Amino acid sequence: MAVSSLVVGISDCKVTRDANSVLVTYALGSCIAVAMHDPVSKVSGLLHYMLPESAIDSKKAAQNPFMFADTGIPSMLDALKAAGGDGKRMIVRLAGGAQVLDSQGVFQIGKRNYLAARRILWKAGILIAGEAVGGDVSRTTRLEVSTGRQWVREGGGVERELVRNSKGPKRTEQA
Amino acid sequence: MHPELETPEPQSMDQEPAASETIQQVAAEVLETMFFTAAEVASCEHGWLSGASCARIRFEGSRCGEMLLGVSVQAVDPIAASFLGLDPMALTDAQRGQVIQELSNILCGATLSNLWPESKLALSSPELAAWQEWPASGALHRCFAISEGMLAISVRLIPATPPAASR
Amino acid sequence: MPYSVLIVDDSPVMRSFIKRVLGLSGFEVGECREAGNGEEALRQLSAQRVDIILTDINMPGMNGEELLRRLCADGVLKTIPTVVISTDATNERMVRMIELGARGYLSKPFTPETLREELERVLGAGDASRA
Repeated sequence: MAVSSLVVGISDCKVTRDANSVLVTYALGSCIAVAMHDPVSKVSGLLHYMLPESAIDSKKAAQNPFMFADTGIPSMLDALKAAGGDGKRMIVRLAGGAQVLDSQGVFQIGKRNYLAARRILWKAGILIAGEAVGGDVSRTTRLEVSTGRQWVREGGGVERELVRNSKGPKRTEQA
Repeated sequence: MHPELETPEPQSMDQEPAASETIQQVAAEVLETMFFTAAEVASCEHGWLSGASCARIRFEGSRCGEMLLGVSVQAVDPIAASFLGLDPMALTDAQRGQVIQELSNILCGATLSNLWPESKLALSSPELAAWQEWPASGALHRCFAISEGMLAISVRLIPATPPAASR
Repeated sequence: MPYSVLIVDDSPVMRSFIKRVLGLSGFEVGECREAGNGEEALRQLSAQRVDIILTDINMPGMNGEELLRRLCADGVLKTIPTVVISTDATNERMVRMIELGARGYLSKPFTPETLREELERVLGAGDASRA
């Protein structure tokens, strides 16, 4: 059966258990993509958020929780559970958080986005299974729902699979 | 502390050319790694320190000295909650104090281990304390801004005390 | 069978942090004991064996190095894998602790994932006997 691509835009999140789907998001600069996959139910989600904290604009957060880490990640977890996913089984990986100058000139937004995800996931009782973050490159990532495998492309480079690295901090590995 | 450790020679933190950069790098790494908080060097305006939560930790070994850590009152709950993975509302006063003490322990040990990796090192248990303004000469001091508030770190070397009976 | 763990650190919040990582790491942890220094740790170990010991170094009373020395000198206790978790990352200390039989050495700061990987490396070695 043909694989269908579910594209996740900026400040967007999609959840599915369709084993023929691939969740994909593009142009991750300072934004963070949070990918989650339940290996038993296959329920999978991909979130692409822009900013760490919703307190700066709670009205916008109410309209679109996926713009911020502190509203987006909990909303995503709720959606995954509603779709039949088990929070305790979730395999979670992060991509993005690059250091870029945004239009407001707020520095280190990439790092702050990344740390927000780490803090919220730690509080939610979730450890990370892989990450491709930092630097100054734009990234694209895709999550294969049938297998839970995830790939990242950095800049114009080769696509690499995101796996756990037994030596400590997670790195992308050559596919 | 262990009586078999060497009697160190008095030195001054400002004689250590790598000290300033080391403390900045270590503070950033510690806060990001275990407290999920970004820290940037900030200008020193110390009005907030009178109400800050502070911890003091002493070290002995190849060099003797002490470190003071100050955390601004509005930053204590976010830092403690981040470390423990709790809601700030769920924190106890004991946990708040213990997290500040542990933060000072990690900052001190990591700074000294990075600065002098070939040295002998023994740390005391950190104690909650009031902030003290040490004389600028000889002490290294930096203030850091985090999104929730401020941190201040001072480190100085002091002459060794004669070996005491073991604890 | 679930693992039995002994965490030795004078900081209650550091013990909480480690305990949290244990619970989130996928290991089935049956019993998680805690001690504030080496003496308390030895008292706990005289009452019940554990599958792994995670110990700090700088603690009031008996420190982690002396604890490791005592474990090393005991024919039974020396078989329990011990991982040092310390803010002391000086080379001499690390070498000494490994020579005293530490199976691993994690210097603070570390991410929860790094601790998880260290636990997997030590407990997954296949020769850790269960309590």
